[in-house]
Amino acid sequence: MTAPNSAERKACWDARDLLWKCLDDNGDRAESCQKFQSEFEAKCPAQWVKYFAKRRDFLKYKEKMQKEGFKPAEGPQEAS
Amino acid sequence: MSLLRCILGDLRGRGQLLRTFVTSPLSSTIRPTRRDVRPPQQVRFLSQGRDSAAAAKLKLRTRLLVTLLFGGGIMAVWWFVHWEKQQKLRRQRVEQLRQVALGQGTFSLLDHHGRRRTKQDFLGSWVLLYFGFTHCPDICPDELDKLSAVVASLDRDASLPPVQPLFITVDPDRDDVAALARYVQDFHPRLIGLTGTTEEVKHAGRDYRVYASAGPKDEDGDYIVDHTILIYLVSPDGLFLDYYNRMKNQEQIAESVKNHINSYVRI
Repeated sequence: MTAPNSAERKACWDARDLLWKCLDDNGDRAESCQKFQSEFEAKCPAQWVKYFAKRRDFLKYKEKMQKEGFKPAEGPQEAS
Repeated sequence: MSLLRCILGDLRGRGQLLRTFVTSPLSSTIRPTRRDVRPPQQVRFLSQGRDSAAAAKLKLRTRLLVTLLFGGGIMAVWWFVHWEKQQKLRRQRVEQLRQVALGQGTFSLLDHHGRRRTKQDFLGSWVLLYFGFTHCPDICPDELDKLSAVVASLDRDASLPPVQPLFITVDPDRDDVAALARYVQDFHPRLIGLTGTTEEVKHAGRDYRVYASAGPKDEDGDYIVDHTILIYLVSPDGLFLDYYNRMKNQEQIAESVKNHINSYVRI
């Protein structure tokens, strides 16, 4: 299996950006973006689809951390 | 104050010495008998302050001149010694850094035309090195685009030597010579793609402490390789000099490379 070339990469990234924008606009409801999801899957190798899904989660998490800062989970409270 | 007087006295002595040097060869060549006349003349020079105001002026001027020359000489010598010491310390530091630098080893890989290339082939030129793989979803192409733009911008500066961009695969199973030949077309025209056996590629990466680990394969046998995503700057003596991560943009990298080239000291 050959790697995507420059044009194929660009097509995949464009499809990804459209999907991500749709998800952002629709509060991450996947059902509202079915059209973009299938377009994205058609234009990108399956492995990239999985990779970009994880990447979006990571970028969202990173953004949240940068905006809100890290809040440690509340552990068991010590009895005083 | 007494120190100053001491210095001035010393200078006066020197001034006399100087005059003796200037007059004696002349007098000896022209008229050897003049040697007998000289002692009274010297006396006159020593006691000239009493004679006339013009002579005093001359004396002061000579003193000043000699003081300046002598003082300037001392300053120059001090400055030179200081500068030389600094240079020596700098050379020693560069030498020490070189001994601990990454990239002491070598590599022998196939380029995207199928020719064997070793690290020796690139000694003498500045190299920007990136490790990646052709199936890389976004980071590698982004970084290679950036690297290509950096090389292109450095190319526009005629005062700089050409910088050689290199791409070494961390996925030799899939990235053979043909795959690399296809891949490098999308980037800088001088970009050389390098591949080899698993062992050869691992060896090349180990020299720069590159981490690479292939992820799980999916149904199509496709997988993603997690790897170090740094751009390395390698000096003409083949050693690691600097690195650039994702946070550095094209302008910052080009500026840094330019500074390294301009401040580089050859052994």
